Amino acid sequence: MARLLITPLILLLILLGLLSLDQREREADLVLASDNEIFTLDPQRMSWLGDMRIAYALFEGLVRWNPEDFSPQPAAAKSWSVSPDGLVWTFTIDDTAKWSTGAPVTAHDFVWSWQRLLLPDTAADYSNLLFIVEGAEEFWDWRANALARFTPGSAPETTAAEALMDETERQFVKKVGLTALGAHTLEIRLTHPVPYLLDLLAFAPLMPVYRPAVEGWPASSDTTTPPPWSARQFVRLVPETGRLQADHRWARPGTLVSNGAYMLDQWRYRRDLRLVPNPHAHHPGSVQSVLVRSFPDPNTALLAFRSGEVDWLTGVSADVRQDLLDAKNADPDNDDILVRSIHAVPAFGTEFFSFNCSDTLARGAPNPFSDPRVRRAFAQATDKQMIVDHVTGLHEPVSGSFTPKNSIAGYEPPQGLEFDPTRALEELAAAGWTRNTAGTLVNDAGEAFPSVDLKYTTSSPRNRRIATALRSQWQAQLGVDVRLSGQDSKSFGADLQAGDFMVARGRWYGDWGDPTTFLELFRSTNGNNDRRFKNAGIDAQLDAAATETDPAARMAMLAKTERELFEVHMPLLPICQLVEVTMHDPDALDGMTTHPRLIQYLGDVRKRSAASGGDGTSGGGMP
Amino acid sequence: MSPMKRMVFSRLAQIPLILLAVYTLTFLLAWLIPGNPLEKDEGRRPPPAIAEAMQAQWNLDDPWSFYWSYLGDISGVSWLLGDRTGPVIDFGPSLRHENWSVGEIIAGQLPVSMMVGISAILLALFIGVGAGTLGGLRPGSWLDRATGSISIIGVSIPAFVIGTALLLVGGVWLQWFPVGGWGSLQHLLLPAVALSLPFAAWIARLTRQGVIEEMQADYIRTVRAKGVSERVVVVHHVLPNALLPVLSYLGPATAAALTGSFVIEKVFAVPGLGMHFVDAVLSKDLTMIMGVVLVYSALLVVLNLAVDVMYAWVDPRIRV
Repeated sequence: MARLLITPLILLLILLGLLSLDQREREADLVLASDNEIFTLDPQRMSWLGDMRIAYALFEGLVRWNPEDFSPQPAAAKSWSVSPDGLVWTFTIDDTAKWSTGAPVTAHDFVWSWQRLLLPDTAADYSNLLFIVEGAEEFWDWRANALARFTPGSAPETTAAEALMDETERQFVKKVGLTALGAHTLEIRLTHPVPYLLDLLAFAPLMPVYRPAVEGWPASSDTTTPPPWSARQFVRLVPETGRLQADHRWARPGTLVSNGAYMLDQWRYRRDLRLVPNPHAHHPGSVQSVLVRSFPDPNTALLAFRSGEVDWLTGVSADVRQDLLDAKNADPDNDDILVRSIHAVPAFGTEFFSFNCSDTLARGAPNPFSDPRVRRAFAQATDKQMIVDHVTGLHEPVSGSFTPKNSIAGYEPPQGLEFDPTRALEELAAAGWTRNTAGTLVNDAGEAFPSVDLKYTTSSPRNRRIATALRSQWQAQLGVDVRLSGQDSKSFGADLQAGDFMVARGRWYGDWGDPTTFLELFRSTNGNNDRRFKNAGIDAQLDAAATETDPAARMAMLAKTERELFEVHMPLLPICQLVEVTMHDPDALDGMTTHPRLIQYLGDVRKRSAASGGDGTSGGGMP
Repeated sequence: MSPMKRMVFSRLAQIPLILLAVYTLTFLLAWLIPGNPLEKDEGRRPPPAIAEAMQAQWNLDDPWSFYWSYLGDISGVSWLLGDRTGPVIDFGPSLRHENWSVGEIIAGQLPVSMMVGISAILLALFIGVGAGTLGGLRPGSWLDRATGSISIIGVSIPAFVIGTALLLVGGVWLQWFPVGGWGSLQHLLLPAVALSLPFAAWIARLTRQGVIEEMQADYIRTVRAKGVSERVVVVHHVLPNALLPVLSYLGPATAAALTGSFVIEKVFAVPGLGMHFVDAVLSKDLTMIMGVVLVYSALLVVLNLAVDVMYAWVDPRIRV
């Protein structure tokens, strides 16, 4: 019997050992449950909204958005000026702006961070964001070619890589219109006037990083002159390829240096992330500490909110949100904690279905959707209101065009085409397709309209439901056969890129506060033009708008382009503006933005003090 | 060398070969997952030149060179040859979570999965052996029927239902336990209970069967005839033999519990390895997949060996 007891005893000992290793979760003023995992805290390498939310708390760009109307306001820069032709911008960096080490934030920090964004070695998603800067694209190409041609040579291998890097720095200075005219003066020279430049400068990938931290310079070294490559902990030059290789582990507590309202105190992989105030911040945040907890199951996150452990849910379980929103709509005074805390806010994104606009499909079959009349017919046969009311249930604002309504100051997106089944059949008749006596859509030769291949990702049941609704609407209104194919996101993405689809689901969120963040998608050469929509007229209109210096005239030109896109070409079928469903108790949290851009500076959140209880009047923010 | 020692040595010698086979097969399957690990699921794609630069950055443009260089890194060969500084066995950075190395992730998450797993197994042993013995001593009694029904429920209700119910009752209504998360004994209890139930149910059934059989054995009648008390009969004579099947079940059960449960970790927001492994496969995070599969495989091989040794030691009649 003693021998039998040995197994549980060993297990018990291991358990006690492991328990002693673990650390408790620490308390925080503001606890948010994130439905997104955090992929990276390196601003230049970011592309996910969940990562950017943290970046906006840790880092501060030249400007920041006013949370009310998203107009740019001073942040790291205290003032700026622009030349009359709109090409040269000069920024004065605020000398109270400091890194969390106490070092001043300088113009050199911005130039170096943007050089980093422009190196092919960094392989940043948003490298091309800076291609509006004079010489930036040329510099990127130069370095990419130099790397492709790189040979280590006979000399000690590292010297070839180092020589190339030195030459790269010289080329940057020579080619690229980004110059520090002193520690606190930054000059940006553009290739064409960019009226939304300030908005862009508030965007996370353009936040500055602190070079000694990113490269891991030894603590003893002077923070202005780089130490030898061999002494830098987080970067090295690969002798065989000449590439700059980064160890991204600099972006962790202890080594990450930030210039925003907060510092990174703790970060445990897919578990929690804790922010504490940056003592050197010149624009400190309201809450003293922020804990971001990771909840992979949205129902558990909801239970945690219900029990009071979490103040703010960035996403709400699809199982309950419709019921809660319906209850709130039915009775706005409903005081149930979950009902009063749920919020559905229109976002800066559009849900749509892409039409394949190329002449033939992936396997050479003729593509009926290459004809804009067919695309318009399918769009007009779609009852979007029915979809948002009864299929998604979130009552999203339906969209006739691509740019979301009320999200960009001075821009009114066009209405697009209405739901009109009669008009849809007329469009099809003009394209040579009519319904026969059996109700099937056929051409003059009596051949049926090809079965429509409708693709969507199975990542969420919502996609399948919308696709099913489209199938039944199109079958009923147009008499076409629709084949649904649900795929995992990797296969779906591969098919989309290969053009192997007829109609495919998509969603697009804007990055900067200008219609071009949506409309550039329809440029023939755009890398995200999955629809393979090519129209020289639209390209020319986008080019013309890019050189227009009068802001109002420019907006009018873009609106005209969007109208033509969605009244004539219809490269995609817009369904609705996306809606973010979040949860926070309005009696407990203040300072939450409701602007469609939905970028929430964590430092702007104010917690009403618990002592004030239910009266909901006092804003108990910390000084 | 005793046969026992020979067995242990030959099994240990097989481990590198098993792991190499696992490495090759996993690499092949993981490489065949469609798509690019560096690409987002939907939405924006960077220009092709940048996408190529991203691939080149992690050696992802050539499967053959990735296979060999990664094999060198994780086997410690590159370290021995002096090609690389850093840890001897290096799984590299996670392709999806670049601020972390796979080694750090495993070192952080595996102990969590193991804690939940070990607690669950201990609970399962306690509940299962207790219930099984009570039932087996009086087969057909109300007590037996009650423990039997409970164990049927234990195996048949899915873990996410039990988990959510436990959170709702213990976390929201009674407020005795935190809702999800990790870091204290209170965080550990609910997931351990939820994970233990199916194991407890099996152990109860095995124990009950063992106890019923042993109670009818001749030697027990002899022991009783000597006037030994019923408690001594059960604890010293019946249970040691009745529990042998439980011991052999314990090997695979411990391995299954230790490697983490996807559902339990997800429902209770436990930062263990099981959940992230599934995500790694879905997002084609090659280095993460390889690292986790290799560590799991090594763990399974070692645990199986440990159980075989233990079995031979507890019951000397068994020759392995």
